[in-house]
Amino acid sequence: MRYPPGDLAIWIFILAELVVFAAFFAAYAFTRMNNVELFNEFQQQLDQRAALINTLALITSSYFVVRAVSAIREDNRRHCVVWLLAALAMGALFLIVKMGEYQHHFIVEGVSLSTNTFYMFYISLTFFHFMHVIMGMVILAAVVVMAAKGKYSAAEHTGVETGASYWHMVDLLWLIIFPLVYVMR
Amino acid sequence: MAQAFTKAMARNIFYGGSLFFFLLLLALTFQTEADFPSRDNRAALEGPKGTQIAEGKRLWEENDCIGCHTLLGEGAYFAPELANVYTRFGNSTDAIKGFIASRPADGIPGRRSMPQFNFNDEELSALAEFLKYVSEIKTARNWPPNIQG
Amino acid sequence: MKYKSQSVAKLYFIAAIALFVAQILFGLIMGLQYVVGDFLFPTIPFNVARMVHTNTLIIWLLMAFMGAAYYLIPEEAETELFAPWLATLMFWIFLAAAGATVAGYLLFSYSDLAELTMNELLPTMGREFLEQPTITKIGIVVVVLAFLFNIGMTILKGRKTSINLIMLLGLVGLAVFFLFSFYNPVNVVRDKFYWWWVVHLWVEGVWELILGAMLAFVLIKVTGVDREVIEKWLYIVIAMVLITGLIGTGHHFYWIGTPDWWQWWGSIFSAMEPIPFFMMTVFAFNMVHKRRREHPNKVATLWALGTAVMAFLGAGVWGFLHTLSPVNYYTHGTQITAAHGHMAFYGAYVMISLAMISYAMPLLRGRNAANPAKSQVLEMWSFWLMTVSMVFITLFLTGAGILQSYLQRVSDNPMPFMVVQEQINLFYWLREIAGLVFLIGLVLYVASFFVGQNEPEAVVADR
Repeated sequence: MRYPPGDLAIWIFILAELVVFAAFFAAYAFTRMNNVELFNEFQQQLDQRAALINTLALITSSYFVVRAVSAIREDNRRHCVVWLLAALAMGALFLIVKMGEYQHHFIVEGVSLSTNTFYMFYISLTFFHFMHVIMGMVILAAVVVMAAKGKYSAAEHTGVETGASYWHMVDLLWLIIFPLVYVMR
Repeated sequence: MAQAFTKAMARNIFYGGSLFFFLLLLALTFQTEADFPSRDNRAALEGPKGTQIAEGKRLWEENDCIGCHTLLGEGAYFAPELANVYTRFGNSTDAIKGFIASRPADGIPGRRSMPQFNFNDEELSALAEFLKYVSEIKTARNWPPNIQG
Repeated sequence: MKYKSQSVAKLYFIAAIALFVAQILFGLIMGLQYVVGDFLFPTIPFNVARMVHTNTLIIWLLMAFMGAAYYLIPEEAETELFAPWLATLMFWIFLAAAGATVAGYLLFSYSDLAELTMNELLPTMGREFLEQPTITKIGIVVVVLAFLFNIGMTILKGRKTSINLIMLLGLVGLAVFFLFSFYNPVNVVRDKFYWWWVVHLWVEGVWELILGAMLAFVLIKVTGVDREVIEKWLYIVIAMVLITGLIGTGHHFYWIGTPDWWQWWGSIFSAMEPIPFFMMTVFAFNMVHKRRREHPNKVATLWALGTAVMAFLGAGVWGFLHTLSPVNYYTHGTQITAAHGHMAFYGAYVMISLAMISYAMPLLRGRNAANPAKSQVLEMWSFWLMTVSMVFITLFLTGAGILQSYLQRVSDNPMPFMVVQEQINLFYWLREIAGLVFLIGLVLYVASFFVGQNEPEAVVADR
């Protein structure tokens, strides 16, 4: 098997994205150290249950994507499409839950980037990630269309692996954001 | 098959990535606009004082002050920062007016000198009010770092 | 030269070099005014010299970009230019407008120029780099639109290569973001915020697409490496440019009355901006290393490699030096900015323009591939003189900037601006001397066009 899976170009991109997020995470950790009380106080305001649902949604979706890649490796195009659609549905669930969370914070509470340092980070990190979920879904949708058209096979499915790699990154980032922003005290 | 690294994928990343980050820039711009009222001292721009400040800004621009000075750190680095000149001159518009009006027409031998612009009193007041307005913009960490600019 | 209509590029290149000379002369005047404050006062005050210095730079780079487009787009599209006459006409209009504007700066006081050009109808003057009278700005828009139409139609009727599309995209972006120069609200914070949509999104955004396209074109020509490979890298590099550079605009939004959160967003994204420049350096050296032919135009290759290195140093490293907000708090608006500006502009945009001119000019002048050895050697001398002196200009200004930041902002007893300026006088003298060396390099550069033209030339050899 080829390594890394998928197109090398996406890996350059993934690496760059991880660097940006790493910088954000480091900045968060550093700032939190100096403002522990503020961070603890406003962390209480976050909806941990919603975040947990979202964590499960993304982990499940990643699993579905893995199934999609195995399906195409066995030349099973139909299953590949079905698993990808299931992953997309999980992605959509994430977006809906997240929007509910945002609706509460932005509209009901009137929070913004300028409210305080904690919310600055909360919004920056989660919204930046939110946009990545949308981006990942666009990529997966493109892969679904190509797969439905029969462009992929057991011999050539770089596109599926490329999309899957990006989606796993999106999932991975959330798995850091969830404990970092919602749970860790 | 050799390592996959296709032009098509590189192109997609370019278009997708650029669009993504441009949208993000628009979102942040939107948020910036929402934050402006609490920082940009726009209240000063209302009423007759506001008209005077607008006139001051026009004079500031039409005499290319930015060609020597910085304003909030932007401009040329040949002459002092003016975003806090109002406070540096003891919170006095008269001191600013006096300084501008008293520049020698032929300069100072061997030294940098501000030109003599021959402003009338009304124009001097407008410029001073403009600089006062700028000094009351709320900058992060109250930049500039100290009174010297 | 494969297509007759490419020859219009020659006009643009010649005008670009002439304006380059003017730019450097006025740079030297400014440099001297830094140490001999009353030099030419009040005939040419500092602000006028600076306007001429920066505006001729912008105009000559635009000239070079347009010339490059008129040269490379027909060649890539494999077709004649859509309307060569339009390109020639626009050249003369652009040159006349630029000449009239510079003459206006020098002959009138700026306020008289504003009145004369009816600035009050649509006030856009008097903002850094956008000092041109409104009528000139409108002229630039007209010229650029006609230019975009011309090259757009050429691309439409010909082969659509990635290089052409990226060049076009960069130039369209240039036109679009220039429109923000017409927005000039009284609210200073807003004014400054959208001013950066021209300045930053030009030099750290769409101009880099133009730079990338020009570099890729020259590399394909001088190395003979497969187009697929070069274009693939080009896409990755410019993708990283925009991914980091668009939000990187935030590093200008620290201290101008914009909200605090920009400190984080600006710092994090702009800290990534050196990455694409580093990739560009790796890319350029890789392609030259893998070259399939020994192109006789050695000096064009030298410029292309030079731009990759100097853009990384000037834009990447010197940009990073003061891009993080805790550092920028002390360095904002000091000579550090000037140091970065000089090396970044020279490394990224001057050198790529000269690379393009160096590659295209021999062909435009009817030679088969390259200038004779004598001329190339002279041009290489000019390369090293200009580049090394620019490194020194940057180092001296950096020294001045560090001292300035310390004495004026960090130390326990901050000194007034003018007192500090006297303390760092020595650096300004050294900078002026380095500037003179730069001028010598530039003279040699111009001279290289006039030597050895009767000598035979080498041919392209496969490797």
